Amino acid sequence: MLKRQSKTKIFFLSLIPFLMLLSGCEFKDIDKDVFVSMIAIDKSSDNDKPYKITLKFYQPTSSYKEAPEPQFSYLTQNGESLSEAIRLMESYIDKEIEFGHSKLIVIGEDLIKAKKSKEILDFLLRRPDIQMISWITVGRPTAEEIVHLVPEGENAAYPAIFNYFDENGTESQYIVTSYLFDFRRRLKEEGIDTVLPIIVIDEEKKHFKVNRALILRNNKEPHELSTLDTGIYNMLTSRAKVADLIIKEEGDYFIARIDSIDSKFKVNVSDTKKITIELEVSLVGYISESKETLQNKDLPYLNKLLEKDANMKFTAFMEEMIKNGYDPLGFRMNYKSHTLHNHRISTEEWNEAYKDAEIHITVKPGLKSTGTIQ
Amino acid sequence: MIANIIASVPAILFHFHKEGSVSAIILAIIVGTILITMYTRFFNSFPGMTLPELLKNTTSKWFYKSFVFFLAIVWFVAGLITLVTFTFLLIRFLTPEMPIIQICLTIMIPALFGSLMKTERILYTLEILILIGFPIIVFVFYKAYSSDKLEWAFVKDAALYFNQLPNLHAFSACFYLFLGVANLFIFNRFFTEKQNFNWKNVLFIGLLSTLALFTTYFIPIGFNGLDHIEELVYPWISTSDSLRMDFFLIERVLFVFLILYVGIAFLSIMIHWHVSLEFFNSIFNLEKVKFKGIAIGKLIVILLYVGVSLFFVRKLNEYQLFLFTSLFYDMLIIFFPSMLLLFFFIKRGMKNVKKAK
Repeated sequence: MLKRQSKTKIFFLSLIPFLMLLSGCEFKDIDKDVFVSMIAIDKSSDNDKPYKITLKFYQPTSSYKEAPEPQFSYLTQNGESLSEAIRLMESYIDKEIEFGHSKLIVIGEDLIKAKKSKEILDFLLRRPDIQMISWITVGRPTAEEIVHLVPEGENAAYPAIFNYFDENGTESQYIVTSYLFDFRRRLKEEGIDTVLPIIVIDEEKKHFKVNRALILRNNKEPHELSTLDTGIYNMLTSRAKVADLIIKEEGDYFIARIDSIDSKFKVNVSDTKKITIELEVSLVGYISESKETLQNKDLPYLNKLLEKDANMKFTAFMEEMIKNGYDPLGFRMNYKSHTLHNHRISTEEWNEAYKDAEIHITVKPGLKSTGTIQ
Repeated sequence: MIANIIASVPAILFHFHKEGSVSAIILAIIVGTILITMYTRFFNSFPGMTLPELLKNTTSKWFYKSFVFFLAIVWFVAGLITLVTFTFLLIRFLTPEMPIIQICLTIMIPALFGSLMKTERILYTLEILILIGFPIIVFVFYKAYSSDKLEWAFVKDAALYFNQLPNLHAFSACFYLFLGVANLFIFNRFFTEKQNFNWKNVLFIGLLSTLALFTTYFIPIGFNGLDHIEELVYPWISTSDSLRMDFFLIERVLFVFLILYVGIAFLSIMIHWHVSLEFFNSIFNLEKVKFKGIAIGKLIVILLYVGVSLFFVRKLNEYQLFLFTSLFYDMLIIFFPSMLLLFFFIKRGMKNVKKAK
């Protein structure tokens, strides 16, 4: 009888030949994959094949020194459905197309206007490998052009356009960020409208401009927000971390830099089906530019000016939204969140009542300083 | 308890999200905590005795054999459901190119080896895996709760559906989470001394299960909205994919979550099949079945397990799995509370046995 220790030794020795059988994993090798960095979906001119997909692929390189400039390759294909286009594309490239690392989805403006968001959403969600945290945007004039542009100053490895949305690079008040899961929940939910950023390329074709947004609502034309309105929308949803407000009142002209924004609202529906919205915004910050010399002791007065001006701007924005029947902030959702489901008014009643909803905006100004000079 | 967060339980709950899921959750927490208390109390009064042993002492042979056989099948099915669910999950999200049989085997083989271990060692494995997994679960939950993309308006909206009659299927799905206590049928062997079990423990269990069920149900709603949430086949997968780690090696929380849950699924299958094997062992005396001097009793059962599992993994589709799971849960809500009656008989019987001694 062998000793216990030598038994163990024999066991391990006989195990080693079996390890040879593990020739590799069932995964595809990494050099047989090609990684998609962005997906662009457009409307094609071909009626039978309405979708046009453009994919942007990362070009693999062995080191940074070899390719200090960003390198990409592109594929474009029309298709009757999105999957058909991708299936055809697979035959144009020698590698397996891998969607797991794609972080940006650009949808052409024409396609959004043709109300195809539901079909696109279905495709994007049904594929398990597309990230739910990829950003979804609208490309103007076409998504293909956006995807093709490599702007000046772009690093290899990380496309510049991602920095606009990842809340890590630029913190502009005009950029709306919409993740795929957010896009889905807003499209499916009745109480809140979808807001997507619009990407435009500047005239010299060197940079992107992301300072507008598009509101989508079921059974309605998409509504475009101007740059100013986009900023206000971002402030009202507390998405913007910092914001500038230009205040022009009775000869005073100064710019308030708001570094802490907090907004909350409450929606009430009376028994007579009258909607009242209480919106409260607090703006805390300092003055970053002024045409006149300012006095520290005048801060209460400046605060009054800020309050008046901000109130006017917010009211104008909200009234436009209400008049046109858009609900980007989710007023109906707020109403639903504090009313029992069997006591709620129906969708038709809400839509009717929303047109003459009353809105009360309270601005709490908090200018703390005139900056480094008086 | 935790293993089911990921797949079938939330899917069933969301199916009835406007037809009484919330009230079912509340009811299940109350009933479930009571059930746990009663089961624990019962087994605490017989330290070190497993259910088959107790039954052997108190009931007639035909009842004992057929009943334990039935229990063994129930536990096998519980493990099978977890196995099939996770196989489907892995093929969908992690390794779409791998053949389904191979995925199934990679989970099954370690789990089977595990279930052959001694009861005591299984508890140690459990301890280690919980120690590794728990911080990650807490981290994912923390990420979810602290995310500014979590819309509380959706959560509140969903919670306001509480004033409906509890839905039976939703109730049974929630109730299933509390049935982990039934593993004491075998694991009581390990607790040879009387355990201290008082109202504090009951309160703790109640609070923990409330937190678990609240998270299971409301966090996916906060991320995915209430309307049409039943469309999501794997609500928690979509939810964990909605989380983003800005400054980590991996950006998608999904993969951390998936790997972690493979571990938990492995545990769950291992425990269920261990209990099932022990039940078979106690009726068929598997250790005595020998072929040329080698004990093959357990091997036969295990081969049966492998065969049945592979058959179901290949045959079922997602809808059938959902239906089958839902049916299984429904059956259990009648079965486990009625076990309490049996406990009552056993208690009386055991008194007589003691007297006889």
